[in-house]
Parts: sequence; structure tokens; C-alpha cells
Amino acid sequence: MKPLTLRRLLLQCSILVIILFVVVVVALKFGAVPVSLYALGRDLLSVLFGQSSQISSDYGLIIVNIRLPRILLGMIVGASLSVAGTSFQALLRNPLADPYVLGVSSGASLGAILALIVAPHLSISPLFAALLTPLGAFLGAAATITAVYFLGRREGQIDSTTLLLAGVITGSFLSAIILFLMSTLTGSLRGLSFWMMGELSTPLQKSVYWFLGVGFFVAAGAIYTTASDLNLLLAGEKEAMHLGVDVPRVRLVVYIAASFLTGLAVSVSGAVGYVGLIVPHVMRFIFGSDHRTLLPTAAIGGAIAVIMADTLARTVVAPTEVPVGAVTAVIGAPLFIYLLRRRLT
Amino acid sequence: MKNFARSLIRNTLCAAIAASFCYAAPSRAQSASPVSAASPVFREVTDEAGRTVRVPQPVNRIVSLAPSLTETVYALGLQDRLVGDTDYCDYPPDAQRKTKVGGGISPSLEVIAALHPDLVLATKSFNRLETVHSLDNLGISSYATDPHTLEQIMASSKKLSDILGVPEAGASVAADMQRHLADLQKRLGALPPKRVLFVVWTQPLISVGKGTFIADALRHAGAVSIVDAEQDWPQVSLEEVARLQPDFLIFSAAHSDAVSPAVDALAALPGWNIVEAVSNRRIAVINEAVNRPAPRIVSAIEDLARQLHPDAFVEKPEGGKEKLQKENPPPNPQPAPPSSFSPGAAQAQMTVPGGCA
Amino acid sequence: MSSGSALARNPFEPARAGGDSRLSVEQVSYAYSANPTQAPLFTLEATSFQAKPGEIVAILGPNASGKSTLLNLIAGSLAPLSGRILLDGFVTHSLTPKTRAQRIAVVQQESRLLFPARAWEFVLQGRHAHGRSLRFESEDDVIIAKNALAQVGAADLSDRWMDEISGGEKQRVILARALAQQPLLLLLDEPTLHLDIAAQVGLLDALRRLAAENRYTVVVVTHELNLAAEYADQVVLMQRGRCLRVGPPASIYRRELLEQVFQTPLTVEMGASGRPRVTVLSERSGEL
Repeated sequence: MKPLTLRRLLLQCSILVIILFVVVVVALKFGAVPVSLYALGRDLLSVLFGQSSQISSDYGLIIVNIRLPRILLGMIVGASLSVAGTSFQALLRNPLADPYVLGVSSGASLGAILALIVAPHLSISPLFAALLTPLGAFLGAAATITAVYFLGRREGQIDSTTLLLAGVITGSFLSAIILFLMSTLTGSLRGLSFWMMGELSTPLQKSVYWFLGVGFFVAAGAIYTTASDLNLLLAGEKEAMHLGVDVPRVRLVVYIAASFLTGLAVSVSGAVGYVGLIVPHVMRFIFGSDHRTLLPTAAIGGAIAVIMADTLARTVVAPTEVPVGAVTAVIGAPLFIYLLRRRLT
Repeated sequence: MKNFARSLIRNTLCAAIAASFCYAAPSRAQSASPVSAASPVFREVTDEAGRTVRVPQPVNRIVSLAPSLTETVYALGLQDRLVGDTDYCDYPPDAQRKTKVGGGISPSLEVIAALHPDLVLATKSFNRLETVHSLDNLGISSYATDPHTLEQIMASSKKLSDILGVPEAGASVAADMQRHLADLQKRLGALPPKRVLFVVWTQPLISVGKGTFIADALRHAGAVSIVDAEQDWPQVSLEEVARLQPDFLIFSAAHSDAVSPAVDALAALPGWNIVEAVSNRRIAVINEAVNRPAPRIVSAIEDLARQLHPDAFVEKPEGGKEKLQKENPPPNPQPAPPSSFSPGAAQAQMTVPGGCA
Repeated sequence: MSSGSALARNPFEPARAGGDSRLSVEQVSYAYSANPTQAPLFTLEATSFQAKPGEIVAILGPNASGKSTLLNLIAGSLAPLSGRILLDGFVTHSLTPKTRAQRIAVVQQESRLLFPARAWEFVLQGRHAHGRSLRFESEDDVIIAKNALAQVGAADLSDRWMDEISGGEKQRVILARALAQQPLLLLLDEPTLHLDIAAQVGLLDALRRLAAENRYTVVVVTHELNLAAEYADQVVLMQRGRCLRVGPPASIYRRELLEQVFQTPLTVEMGASGRPRVTVLSERSGEL
């Protein structure tokens, strides 16, 4: 009998953090423009020590202003999607649940489309113009979360089955509207299909990164406080309640926080697929189903996965960039099949 | 309590690390300016997307993000200043030898940044707004065009030439285009325009909207698109085409040979032989240059005009039977010399330079 | 905490006043309707009984007699329409789920796990109510869990996967989890349903022993006449949502009454131990 201890958890997370660090270095090194490790190290150190004026302008712009923000975005998106996926799998008691199953990504896409339609008719400062799409997407996500919540209740509380049905139907409905709009507005929405596949090259201001970071930690932290509850919830809702879990409260907290994480990720990167579905399963495969371990390792694992996928997306047919969602799909699906078979044998 | 404190410390530590990254990474965007020894002079202009752009003067390094803009740069004689273009920039052939930055929708920001451009040229019909915003974030100036008519193409080229410091070349290019278009207007002005369907794609059937420069090009070629839609790339129903019965179907291709198998396939599709233009093979092929809002579009227009209204160009014994497809225009876009045997053209030449008012 | 009495209540927590009956069900009724505007599909009429520490109460009756509803009311997962249920003086439904889980443990018939778990992990879940929400199990928790498994005779199952053990073994592990909660009240809903005879007897023997040793109050829902007769100190006889009789088996097991409730001919004999024994008759008026 070896129950989980904080020490073991920290050890497991440290291993993953080291892998993350290596992956980040690799991602910083590789890209359409070759950068030497020496130059990389030198520039990074000068950034960390605040001496950015010393950066040789050849690489500095590329490393610090293009690759580093993109990697940071990839980390947040990957971590958010993985935590959301883990949470939904527990909340809905369904191993096939992913962050988008409750319609949040469709809502975000619709919000982005509406923002694109409305944008030319608004007179806004250029600073704000770039943020219009992510903002529209986030508002769309928030509206969808609210709608699905009210549709997914039974007797005033979230019910897993009703929630799943409500989410799936809402997602389908919104997707239908999106298809309709896309077929009638082909001109102005050209870049949208790219965004909807999931990509990390959205231009964002520094303040947005702050918001993303804080938002992630607050939401993921809230979910983490229910980690033990989630373990019990998987045994069955009635049982969980008899074992002391405040099931309605846990469901509400997890639903809102996980949907918020999904909305956050989709607003800035489009719908990157498979990460939220597969990373939890991989981590479960390695570390077990205890959510106290699963949530942090899934977060770090998601960050690793998205950064790796994005590095591939940037380099495989350089200088053209493939959307990162295409890479995650191509790798994710076979990986999922492999995991499925391993589990069955 | 001890456990909780430890996890709290751990979380705070992670947050602090992340925060320092946030702080460090994008904050230096504006300080890493492109390589120019002296303090650069800037000129503020408004581009065709309504953005205020600070263009460094002079502009020595240009990156083009669209084939039409590449062609325009070459037409303005600035090819030596062009340091990068897209994978699709293939005209003139020398453009293929420039450093490639990727596609139009998702060019590599890294490669663009590594080229240290003074100005990046983009166009709304080929590029995304996000790309332009990303370049803004990196402190790289970008200028966007958005021409919807031939007039706007000419004005766009002139304005671009002005920004790039070669206003005379721009005026000359625009004047040249204007001259050819005026000539066409004189030949075709009295004739009723042919009703045409410009086919972008066959399955699904997609044509061009009335607000596109292609539709305007058709008008200058003595044609009018039967599709009257607000969208840029409307999907048209076969019923509608059959009802309107265009005189011609127009395809754009580099060589007319490429089109005949497509047309045969189209004729074989169920329902298409209702359209007389298909069953009678009244097809016109326009050079692919029509897809690019650049100076070369004029020669494509002229070539189409010859196919649609051969009688207006009867000075040369080309035969010009309606049913046959015309030969493709020569790849080198020498504007077709104004024929001197047509009485109409002779009159035009006589009246243009300061003749009787 | 010494391991010997680890399963007993924390001696420093004072018991509430309420006489010497720990569990007091007072005129509890319930109604369930699918639609608020329709007439209720099912009602439980006012029911009362009391139970002391160390006592086993059997809620006995045929199907659809309201037994499980009554159990859920006692467990606090349903709110009664009228009346109240007191556990050591506290109204069970008004407690928070966590506090409730510290005092009441419910043993389900079986447990469907979404992801595989080992038996010790399963039992440790019982400690969830005793501590902050997010925490790692302490050594005390581990000792309590080990003891729980030992008490049900499943110590050797500790490292086995839950989906690899037999039904009877699983039931013991589920019971161990309930014991790990260190409850005052132990509720079981038809625990013998999927068990073979040996397992049934084993389970009930264990319950009787545990109730005596650890002073639990045990409430078992069952329709097994003879098991109830053999092991229960009190029987609550239910039929179609009504509580007909409450009392020790000897006084409840009257032939006419049982025949009316269970709608089948039977005979009742008094056994050597003073407990009644029921024999169900077949149509051939012989024994089944």
C-alpha cells in the first residue's frame, strides 16, 4: 500500500518540468531560420537579466519576439486544454470527453466569426483591432458556457448526462450556424478556416499574456482543490456523496473552471484538437488515475505536447506554416488508437 | 497544513516563473528595431486598409506577401530592392529566385524578420489581417492594398510607387495602363457587352462578385458578369446559369490547352448541357494574370476582348471565329501594340494628342 | 491513536444528547413525482423507529415497498417531506455532505469504477471525509484503512485490482471502505443480493461482530426473511410505502402478517436460538 505523497508528486512533476525545459530549448532553436545554440543561450541569458539591448538584432527579434511568445502561448494553451480535458472526463464520467464536447469551441468560433464580420464597421484603434477576434471568441465561449449550463441542469443542479446532451446539441447547432455563415461570406472569412484548425501565431499584446497566465492558474487551481473529490466522483455520484463529496458544488466549480480554460485556449489559438483528449490518457497510463497527480502532470504534459507539435508545424514545410491543430490531429489519432489497444490487452 | 503550505509555495513559484517569462518575452518588441545605422526617418501614410503606417525612408528592403505586389514591384523597376516574396510569386521568372517566406495565408514571421525588411507589402485579397498585426507587434512596417477596380489598381500602384520613392515610374506604369484601357474603351464602347460567366471553380460552381477587380476587368474587356452578388466568391446555382444563358463561359488559365479537358468534363456533368455556352463550346480563356491586381492584368483584358469581340480588332487577319478558342497570349507581357489599320484606332491616335477638343 | 481501537469513534468528540438511542427516525414521510404538477408516483408514509449503538435493524419488505427510499432518507441524500431523522441529535439532512460522511457510511451493492483501482486505494477513499478536501493521506489514514481491511478479513486483497476480485470479495472491500469512514451509522442496501450463501452468511456474521465491537448502529435493507430473522435485533416491516410494524423478529414474524405482506403462503417456526424461521410453501403445499 503506497498512497500518494507530496514528495512523490513533486518528483513526478519535476521530471516532466525537465522534459518541458528541454522541449522549450529545442523549440527555441529550431524554426524556419536557423539559430545556433550559443546565440540562443547568450540571448536568453541577457533577456533574463534584463539586458535586452545587448541582444544581437539578428536573432534577438526572432527568438525573443517571435518564438518565445509563441512557445509561451503554446504552454498555456496546452496546459489549459489538458486540464480541461481531464476535468471533463471526470465530470462527465466519460473517457472520450474532450474540452470541446460541450460546445465551447463552436461558441468561440462563432464569436470570432461575428467579430470578423463586425470589425470593418467599427472604428477602433489599431491596438484593439488585433484583439477583436480573441475577444469575440472569448465572449462566444462565455455565452455558450452559460447556455449549456442552464440547459444541462436537472432539478436545479448539473446532471452529467443532461449536460453532455445539452453540450453536444449546442455545439452542433453552433457549428451549423458557422457553416452557414462561412458558405455565404466566403470573402471576408478566408483566414478563419486556418484559425479554426488551431494555430499559435495570433498576435497578442503583453497584457493578454498576463491575463492568460493568471486565468490559467486561477482556474486550474480551483479545479485542483477538487482533485480528491474528482477521484471519488469517478466511483459514482451517489457513492461520492456518501463519501463526503459535495457533488453539486464540485460539479459547478469544475464545469465553470474547465469551460473557462477551454474558452481561454480557444480564444487565442483556435480549436487545437486531440490535446485535451489524449494527454490525460497518456498521463493516466503513466501515472495512474489519481487526480492529484493527473491534473498537474496533464498540464505539464499538455504544454510539452503543444510545443512539440508547434515546432513541427513551423519546420516541417518551412517557410510555410502548417496549423498546429493539423499536426496534433495527425499524431494524436494514431496515438490514441495505440493507447486504446494497450489498455485492452 | 504543512502539505498545503508546500503546495501553495510550489504553485506560487510556478506562477512567478511564468510571470517572469511573460514580462521578459514580449516586452522587448519595440526595442529591437531593424538594422539601420543612422536614426531612421519615417513617413506616415494611410494604407488601403485604413491603417496608419510609418514607412521608413528610404525603403531599401521590401518583402512582398502577394504575387500581384511582386509583379507591381518589378513593374516599378524596384526588383533589386525586393528581398523576399511568397512561394506563389512566379512572375516574372526572376521572382522565383528571391528568398521565399512561405504562403500568403501563413508566411513565416521568422523568415520575414530575418530579412530585416523596411516595408512589407500585403493585400487584403491574398493575406490575413493577423499577419499584418503580427508584423506590427514585431515593429515591422507593413502596407496593405485593397483594390477592387482597375482604377484602384492603377491608383494603388501610383501610391505604392510614391511611398517607395519612385513616383515617376508609378505614374508611367499607370499612364501606360490607362492608355491601353482607353484604347479598348474606344474600340468596344459602342458595342453591347457580352454576357459572361467567369468560372472560378466548377464543383461547386463559384464565380466572382460584382465588387471584385475581376468583375471590373471583365467590364473593361467588353463583357458583363451575369452574376450579381455582393460576396467576393459567390457560389452560383446551375439553374440560375441556365436561366441567364451567358454568351460565353470564361476560364482563366496559363494555356488554353489546360482548359479543354476541364470543359469537356463540365459538359459531361448532368445538367450542364442546358447551358448553351457549354454545349456550343463558347468558351473564352483569359490569362491567369487576371487573378492578380497588377499592371499585367491589362494585357489579359485585351486578350479577352479580342476573343469576345473579334470584329473590333479586325485589322489583323486573325480569323477570329466565335466558336474557336483563341491562342494563348505570349507569356512576356508586352502590351499588344495598338493596331494601326483599324479606322477606329487611327482616329483615336489622331485625336488623342492635343487634337480638336 | 492506537491501532486496536482505531475503528472506534474518536473518544474526544462528545456525543450529543438524545437518550441512549443513537438513531431516531421520527414520522418521516416522502413523496416522489416525476412532474411537479402530477400526482406523486410514489409515497412513503410516516415512519418511525429508533436504534441504539450496537444494534442491527433490518428494513424488510417486498419490492417497491419503500425500503430503499427510507434508507436514502436516513442516509441524508433525500430530504423528508415531513418528520426528521436524528443521528446523535443532529438532523441528518441538514449536515454538510462531508460531516454526514463522517458519521454515516453507506454500503452499495456494487461499485462501478470508471478507471481501474486497487483495493487499498478504494478503501482509502473512505478517509476522504476526515480531513481537508485537497490533501495527501496521512499515516493514520493508512493504518485505519489497513485495519478496516483486516476487520472484514480482506487484508490479503489489499494489492489486488478491484475488477479482478470476486463479487463476495468486492463486497468485503466495499464494506471495508465504509468502516474506514469511522461512522456511527452503517447503512446497507440489499448487500446480499449478488452473493452466494457462504458469502451472505460471512457478511452478516461480520456485521454482527463489527456492530458489537465498534458499537455501530447498522441498518440493513433486505427482502431475505430468514437472514433478517437471524441477524436483526429489530425489524421494520414495510409494504407499499407503509410501515406496518416495528419490533424484534420474534414479534413481527406472524404468519398471517407475513403472508399478507409477501403475498405467498409460508410457515413460521421458532428456532432454537429464539429466532423465528420462515419456510415458504409452494403451490403443491409442500415445502419449496
